[in-house]
Parts: sequence; C-alpha cells; structure tokens
Amino acid sequence: MQISEFSEDHLDVLKELMNIAMGNATASIADLLQAFGTMHIPYISVSDMDGLKLFIEETIPSDPRYYVTKQLFGGEFGGEFIFVMTNESAFNLGNYLYDVSEPNSADILDAVIELTNILSATIISRLTEELNTKVQFFVPSTEVIDGNHLIGVDETLNYHKIIIVSTEMIFQNQNISGHIFILTKDEMIERLRTLIDQKLEELYS
Amino acid sequence: MKVLVVDDSKLARLSLIKVLKEFEPSAEIFEGENGAIAVELFKSERPRVVFLDLTMPVMDGYEALKIIMEIDPKAQVVVVSADIQTQAHEFVLKIGAKMMVPKPINSEKMLAVLQQLVF
Repeated sequence: MQISEFSEDHLDVLKELMNIAMGNATASIADLLQAFGTMHIPYISVSDMDGLKLFIEETIPSDPRYYVTKQLFGGEFGGEFIFVMTNESAFNLGNYLYDVSEPNSADILDAVIELTNILSATIISRLTEELNTKVQFFVPSTEVIDGNHLIGVDETLNYHKIIIVSTEMIFQNQNISGHIFILTKDEMIERLRTLIDQKLEELYS
Repeated sequence: MKVLVVDDSKLARLSLIKVLKEFEPSAEIFEGENGAIAVELFKSERPRVVFLDLTMPVMDGYEALKIIMEIDPKAQVVVVSADIQTQAHEFVLKIGAKMMVPKPINSEKMLAVLQQLVF
C-alpha cells in the first residue's frame, strides 16, 4: 500500500483522535484565557510541499506578519508541530493576557510561546496516548515571519510526502485564533499507519 | 431498547456501540453522521437514549440537541464530546442534555451513564 492510499478508516481514526486531543487543548487554553473556545473538525490530508503551500495560502488569513512556533517531537511516532498566529491575533493575546492596551513585542512573544507550549504538549501528548505510544519533545522555536515566507527553504528540503493534520483554535470574543499543523513524513507515516492499524484491530476484536 | 448514536466519526460510533453492547446486548442501534440525520432518526424512531457528539458537519450537536428537546422535552440525550470546556458542559445541560461525557467513552463511563438513565 502506498502512503497516498491511507484508507478512509485510517483518516477517520486520525481525525477522531485529533478531535479528542484538540478538545483537551482547547479546554486548557480556555482555562488560561478564562474564555470559551470554539472547536472545529480537523482536516487531514496526504500531500507534498506544493500541496502544503497551497493549503496554507487558502487557510491562513492574509497578514503581513505571522508568529510561527515549531516544535519537533520524536519516538515511535514523530513529526513537527507548527502553530501559526497572525500578528493581529498575537497582539490581542498579549493585550488580553497582560491586560495592557499596548503590549510590547517581548510580552506578545512571551504570550505566544506560553500558549503554544500548552497547545503542543496537550495535543501531541493526548494524540500519542490515544495511539498507545509515547514521544519526546524537542525545544520549540518561535519566529516572527514575513507573510510571504511561511514555508521556508528548510521545510522544502526536509519534507517530501507529508500528512497534514490541521485545525483552528478560535476564541471569538477575544479575537484570538491560530492554525495548528502537524506534519509527519516518510517512515513516520508508515509507523503512524501501523499504530492506527493496531487501534483498529483493538476496535474490531 | 432503541438507541441512537450520532457522531461524524465511524471510529467513535463503533467504539461507543462496542461498549454499549457489553451492558445492553439487545439494544437496537441507529447511527447518524451529523445533527440533521440525528433529528430525522429521532423523529422516526423515537429512541430511548441518544448519544450525541457536538463537533459535526452539516448540523452540529448543539443545534440538534435544541431541536430534539423541542420535539420531546423528556428525551434522554447524552452528549459525548471531546470538548471538555466547563462552559460547553454547562451549555448542553442548560439546553436539556441529561449529561455530558468526555471522549473517548469506555466501559466505566458507559456503566455510569446507564445507571443514571431511566429505562
């Protein structure tokens, strides 16, 4: 079976497990913000880098600057967690968390890092727990990136065939939202399929 | 006993039905993939219990719950959702859900649910 031939059942399992992970993460962020967040149905697809670029262009609202946090995780299953916030959302987050009308750039960056840490740890931990495996997290990095360079040269070189797991976190009353991508590739895609097969076997046993 | 299981995920529906059958092997199960189908099945089958997800395409669980409660204010709807926010919990109980259970559902949770329902 080719990577692109992930069955409907594989995609359904991944979507449902991501939904559970996202539910946990939304609740944690809701506690941080003392607000109510809206959950969305996760989008899952198998793609190449061109497909990812196109998907990002269509998904992420246009803004001259973005806060992009990336965190690698590895183990029996591994990949990269990417969280993208527009400049406007990041400003609103800093404004809300620090309760100041004009948060400075350090405050905004700190707020984005704090939120992303909770998001990535909760989502990946829960997702891998549901897949009956464990992962290690690597140190995350947050960059302020020009709108035209969301996908950099590094990513183009590192990824060929990828699975995009994408969803959106929205706290409407606070005007805070962000897009979450989990990218995984090559042998990790095969491992992911094996883990999902084990999950399906449990279910049908 | 008729039971309606509503979730856009086949995995979620199968998991729930599997644990439900441990306690109610003779249950007659109806499945729906979204809120709109749930409402139609509720009208036609009048199930004793509805297990309802919240985040679904076409019509979400909040909307379906409102309509089901309008059709039958005594409907026994159990919301089974990944959305574990306190406000979501409070909101579905306010609309009329009997209870809300966090996903994924297992035997322990199912037993607790069934013990609280009226048959």
